[in-house]
Amino acid sequence: MTSLPAPDRLHPDFRVVGDGADGVRAIIAALVEGQRSDREVLLSRSAPPRLGGPGFAVGLETSGTTGPPKPARHSLERLCGRLRAGVGDGTAARWLLTYHPCAFAGLQVILTAAYSGATLIAAAPGADAATTAAAGVRENADHISGTPSFWRGFLMSQPPPYPDLRVVTLGGEAADQALLDHLRAAFPGAKLRHIYASTEAGALFAVADGREGFPAAWLADGPDGVKLEICDGELWVNSPRAMLTDGQAAGHLPTGDLVEIRDDRVIFTGRKDGRVNIGGVKVSPEAVEALILALEGVADALVAAAPNPITGNVLTATIVPRPNADAERLRQAVREATTGLPPAARPRIVTFADSLSLSPSGKKSRVAL
Amino acid sequence: MTVVVDLPALIAAELAAIVAEKGETLPALTADSVFLGGGLPVDSLDLATLLVVLEQKLKVDPFRRGFRRFTTAGELAALYAVELQGTELQEAAS
Repeated sequence: MTSLPAPDRLHPDFRVVGDGADGVRAIIAALVEGQRSDREVLLSRSAPPRLGGPGFAVGLETSGTTGPPKPARHSLERLCGRLRAGVGDGTAARWLLTYHPCAFAGLQVILTAAYSGATLIAAAPGADAATTAAAGVRENADHISGTPSFWRGFLMSQPPPYPDLRVVTLGGEAADQALLDHLRAAFPGAKLRHIYASTEAGALFAVADGREGFPAAWLADGPDGVKLEICDGELWVNSPRAMLTDGQAAGHLPTGDLVEIRDDRVIFTGRKDGRVNIGGVKVSPEAVEALILALEGVADALVAAAPNPITGNVLTATIVPRPNADAERLRQAVREATTGLPPAARPRIVTFADSLSLSPSGKKSRVAL
Repeated sequence: MTVVVDLPALIAAELAAIVAEKGETLPALTADSVFLGGGLPVDSLDLATLLVVLEQKLKVDPFRRGFRRFTTAGELAALYAVELQGTELQEAAS
């Protein structure tokens, strides 16, 4: 029998504070009930936690822009496989929850706090980075895990002097060197690391050397039991913590991430499916483009990602109108067509052109320069 | 030839347009206006859009080497001012 903690044996010192505390408690209660009744616990961003079919496991949704979210099933044992408790000097940690509690990363933070007896600070559901950061500072958080976009939001909304954080963790988006350097300078006493994980493959590894990407040496000798390989520019992993398929470990998985070796590092350069990361949300420019192409008055359109240092990218749309189409009416039509999408997936800059520029092979180039 | 750009006015005008797109109104900006967490109807995506628009219009990018911290409208204007000055010096020297 496993020696891992069970949901009904949480650390007695664990507590949740903040405007989001009720939502977190509901998730914990669902995990306890799922274990007790040996049923899957289904966690969704758009509905309260509920119980599913037989067999205690945790069902999470993968993030995405279009189409229904795909479920990913994890055993609690696998989810806990990479947890690190507090820094270990005997003082209970105060963890700030910056991710959605039903996302993989959010659940990891909740479980970390619950099993190590930490205090978890949960801001109101849907709070933006500035509000979440303010809640963390107000409640004296000293352990914070967030996306690079969250951290930029923190640095831009909180005035120095910064709190003396003990743990600074990044995840969910590639961490760039400039941001890592900023965080090192802002929080000199903190253990600083960025984590690579996905809802399907589980927690893969953490990089703690202050440099972006990961050591190329890991391709020969992977960390934490993970095997890493590059095939056709794409990173493949074999992880002991990957999601269950028919009750078994998933084995060798493509990550969908394109990588490049630069000197002694492996650097993340984009997604194979062309999706881009916008403030932590994975967006498909092609899918958004298809919505616009379907509009009357649009002869052709190109939705591309314009890089920027705040959210990584924003979407831009270039539209070639049909003859006699009215530009203002088209702008309004684009607004209406994209209003149901998550904010990150709505084109922020819409321009009109007589034609679209294509790559030498005649394809639309979706990375705006 | 030097073209003088009123950076604070440009930043205010572009941000006002971005905020208006989502149906809100931007109050008057001062140099000390804090973009995030300062009570303005501005989030990270709005700010990201502003930077893309400014780069398109001014043709300089103070962030070409990555994120640089700025909190207020005045700090952002200063980042662009330095870049534009650098460009003028390059042009004058060539």
